[in-house]
Amino acid sequence: MITVWHYLAVGAALFGLGLVGFLTRRNFITMFLCAEMMLQGVVLNLLAFGKMHGDLGGQVFGLFIVTVAACEAGLALALFLTLYRRGKTLDSGAWQSIREAKLPASVDVDPLRQTREIPDPVLTPAGRRPA
Amino acid sequence: MNLFAATPSGNAVSQLATGVVLGALAFYWLLPRPKGRSVAIGTFAAIAAAVVLTSWVVRQFGDVAKDTVGQALFWLFSAGAIFFAAVFVAQRNPARGAIAFAFVIVSVCGLFLLLAAPFLMAATIVIYAGAIIVTFLFVLMLSHTGPMSDENDRSREPLLGSLAGFAFLGLVLFALYQSSPAAVADGGRPDQKLPARPVTAEERAELLALAKDLELASVAKDKDELQERTKDLRDRFADIVGIPPSAPDAGHHDSAAASIPDRLALARDPQTIAIARQAEELRTLVRQTLNQVENATLKANPTDVEISAAAKSLGNLREKSMLLAGRGELPARNVTAVGHALYSEYLIAVELAGTLLLVATIGAVAIANRKGVTA
Repeated sequence: MITVWHYLAVGAALFGLGLVGFLTRRNFITMFLCAEMMLQGVVLNLLAFGKMHGDLGGQVFGLFIVTVAACEAGLALALFLTLYRRGKTLDSGAWQSIREAKLPASVDVDPLRQTREIPDPVLTPAGRRPA
Repeated sequence: MNLFAATPSGNAVSQLATGVVLGALAFYWLLPRPKGRSVAIGTFAAIAAAVVLTSWVVRQFGDVAKDTVGQALFWLFSAGAIFFAAVFVAQRNPARGAIAFAFVIVSVCGLFLLLAAPFLMAATIVIYAGAIIVTFLFVLMLSHTGPMSDENDRSREPLLGSLAGFAFLGLVLFALYQSSPAAVADGGRPDQKLPARPVTAEERAELLALAKDLELASVAKDKDELQERTKDLRDRFADIVGIPPSAPDAGHHDSAAASIPDRLALARDPQTIAIARQAEELRTLVRQTLNQVENATLKANPTDVEISAAAKSLGNLREKSMLLAGRGELPARNVTAVGHALYSEYLIAVELAGTLLLVATIGAVAIANRKGVTA
């Protein structure tokens, strides 16, 4: 018999893993998707309680969470595009200038290395050049 | 799983702590870093943590094999969700991480289906696995145009971050443990269970069994058959709707099991009050119907009209029992019911959500369309 506690445990695990990712990862998009994963854990809780009480309120709340997550996705995407245009990077560590006042900057112990640029794919020309 | 149950008492918390520490260490090793990352040790620790925590959940919250298919699906979907979540968090490449996240969403949608929410499942698949993932893959491709650095191979404070996340997980699981039936049963703790459902599963099963017997009784041909089929109905209804049993010294009926109207007497929310009122109506109907049946069957020579009237009211009682058994379950027509709830009870919230979407769209356009920044 799967009880409400099983679903609450799975929801808590998703929230915890999302928290780990949000705290440690540096890529904006990964951080954002981690936040979305935490929201999924919360929706799971709401649905489990709604099923337990035989009440549709849980599903309605879940729907609102999905709506708010969609708004958040649109805004976050626009912000990432803007930041990317300015800084040419999706690394959150590159934006030390907008950190909270009086906090020390967090710098890498060994500085970031430039990695190999991925070359664009080259298509082999085929056919004849039109006259 | 007795493997992790070395001592009989007090080991629930220590097993939970073991799982949490193992999980934190696993992510400490798995998170991308230039030096000291070990996928092998991290994977091993992650599997160990998953085994310890799963056995803990099974031991504390029960693993009675009743609904085999539902149980298999639950373990499949939850294992998939947690596995892909771990892959996603520990994955260096954000594009592969986004794909793993799509699998997390699909698994969670399976759990939504098990929780009787098909509409929310469809909406989540469409919104997340469709729109969000495609958009983010687009952004990721866009971000590969310039010179790249290895920031995706670094993590901020991997040890502290994983400790914080798993400390949170451990505390939530511990709080769940304190309210679970196992802990309340063996810990001598005050009864702090979650609030009971208006109609419990046992009462629902008993009401459905009663409805089946009432159906048999309502097609009874003669007086003796009717008497035979209805003789224990009063006692069986007694526990559920709270009528005094036929004999005051009937053994198990004076147990502490409260009837539905008694239990819901202090309820305040409208839905529970409606269920309590329905149970009280059923109580009145049980009394009237069984009295009518007894009047008919105790006569020496009841007429056919009396017998058929009694059978008809038994059929009516059956319908009312079925209706009460159905309360406390989610409605079968999920989309209809969710739509009705959205546009009756939650209309203001729907309007606010629409306004929020509009404002978010305007904001996104305003932010992304900024001129004067060198592209």
